[in-house]
Amino acid sequence: MRHIIIGGGIAGISASRAIRGRDKDAEITMISGEKAKAYYRPMIPYLIEKEGMDINFLEDPVEKYGIGVVYEKAAGVDAKSKEVILSSGERLNFDKLLIATGSSPVIPDIRGLGGKGVFTLRTMEDALGIREYCRGREDAVVLGGGLVGIKAAISLKHSGLNVTIIEKLEEILDQRLDKRGSRIISKVLLNGDIGVLTGDTIEEVIRKRDMVEAVRLSSGKVIKADIVIVAAGVRPDVDVLKNSGIKTGNGVLINEYLQTCMPDIYAAGDVVEYRDLITGMLSINALWTNAEEMGRLAGKNMTGENIRYSGFLSVMNATDISGIPVIAVGIIDPDTEGYEVITDDRIDSYRKLVFRDDFLVGIIFIGDLTNAGIYTNLIKNKIPVGRLKEEAIKGNLGYINFIRKAPFQTITV
Amino acid sequence: MKQIFVKPEKCMGCRSCEIGCAVQHSKDKNLFSAVMQSPPPMKRLFLEATEEIMMPVLCRHCEDAPCLNACISGCLYRDENGLVRRRKERCIGCWTCVMVCPFGVITRDGEKHIAVKCDGCHKLDMPACVSSCPTGALVLVDIDEFQQEKRHRLVLTGTEREE
Repeated sequence: MRHIIIGGGIAGISASRAIRGRDKDAEITMISGEKAKAYYRPMIPYLIEKEGMDINFLEDPVEKYGIGVVYEKAAGVDAKSKEVILSSGERLNFDKLLIATGSSPVIPDIRGLGGKGVFTLRTMEDALGIREYCRGREDAVVLGGGLVGIKAAISLKHSGLNVTIIEKLEEILDQRLDKRGSRIISKVLLNGDIGVLTGDTIEEVIRKRDMVEAVRLSSGKVIKADIVIVAAGVRPDVDVLKNSGIKTGNGVLINEYLQTCMPDIYAAGDVVEYRDLITGMLSINALWTNAEEMGRLAGKNMTGENIRYSGFLSVMNATDISGIPVIAVGIIDPDTEGYEVITDDRIDSYRKLVFRDDFLVGIIFIGDLTNAGIYTNLIKNKIPVGRLKEEAIKGNLGYINFIRKAPFQTITV
Repeated sequence: MKQIFVKPEKCMGCRSCEIGCAVQHSKDKNLFSAVMQSPPPMKRLFLEATEEIMMPVLCRHCEDAPCLNACISGCLYRDENGLVRRRKERCIGCWTCVMVCPFGVITRDGEKHIAVKCDGCHKLDMPACVSSCPTGALVLVDIDEFQQEKRHRLVLTGTEREE
């Protein structure tokens, strides 16, 4: 069997692992636009501040799973003749194909944004570029108050720069947290001397000769800046599928076996648009854990299994902002009726549980993460809470609550 | 392969396992200095109880381990004996493993800012929790032997369970 995987991120890697696990003779070819060895993408913000930090896989999956790698961009897919067209024009034929191209940063249309001193943070190369460029510079502006923006801001701050985050919406971490949660994190950032401006955006990047001098905001404010990080979200990388006949919406559309509408062509990871497990809505997400799971299942199905993918949780974030642990899973800020929301807001912690009928559908834990995984499991596997609801609200839920005394078994011979 | 088995019917909730675990993961591995250690050493298994049942909850070193699948830094790995362990220097304290562990047995070390979990006492012949259990509620068993014994008991007494 000839398997081709477009994309060298975690979806592609976990698919390769699964394929190799079930078929030791399979030919696996990975087409990767990035020249770097396999690395942990969520770790790249740390590269900005920590010199020489190793974020590569300890065992290179390329060697471990015997993957052939083509370091080139795929230009197209011919679904009928079952070929991938490389940017060089070369064609590679496949028996099974996995689209795992991931996503790429959204670049807003802002005057002066193009050119030196403006970076996105998506690849290892980006992170190292930022690190290099930061040297001897003083002021940084981060456009976008999402998780990537915040991570970038913290790393830049640790590198000794003055940092301001600019978020267009009313709150940072919109969709990742509720208002209260966002406020808590804003405060943490401010205490760490990172500026946070919300409800404002960059109108123009002011340059002197080539170099970034400052940014002018919609509000008229002008903020000094030597470097601008654009962290305004990502969108699925579906360019390679143009004219391929493979159906796309916001991302590649798949069925419950992670197959696209074309036979023998699968998709996994950030590039996929699929239903959210809890909201039931078609969604895209850019989470490592989801990409890993999708890749793993796709790899198994590409080698003959028929495992159903029940969907991802668009919100399933764990992070730590300057020593404050944060977890948010599922529907965390419902704006329609039919939900029961319980919050416990204390000086050092914030807990929020969202119920719908007899199910827990969302949580936010800030400060205290005790047994968070038990709650995630309730959400993800849609386990009715029943009599455990009260324990969950009190924060007493443990694994023990799911164990019943086994009935005494006797057999008469 | 050997695994730690929990027999809830024998557990009396004395927490000796928790103490044994914390001591084993303290600096000097000695009860008297462990209690003086600051911050105190952390246990990796947890006595939990309902009105019905009581037992220590500990890491299963799952075959398809959610924590291992979800680890974003390459810290968690499966060692040659099948244990899910940490490369401490790689942990960045992102708490993804804490979020996904369905047993709730991964906790945070706030001081060192890393995740803490059971390492199966890989350096010992007998895990500390097992050797400190006075009632036999925690036992280290070879899985094959365990099955055999269970079958044996069923034939002899008509029940799988120990009296």
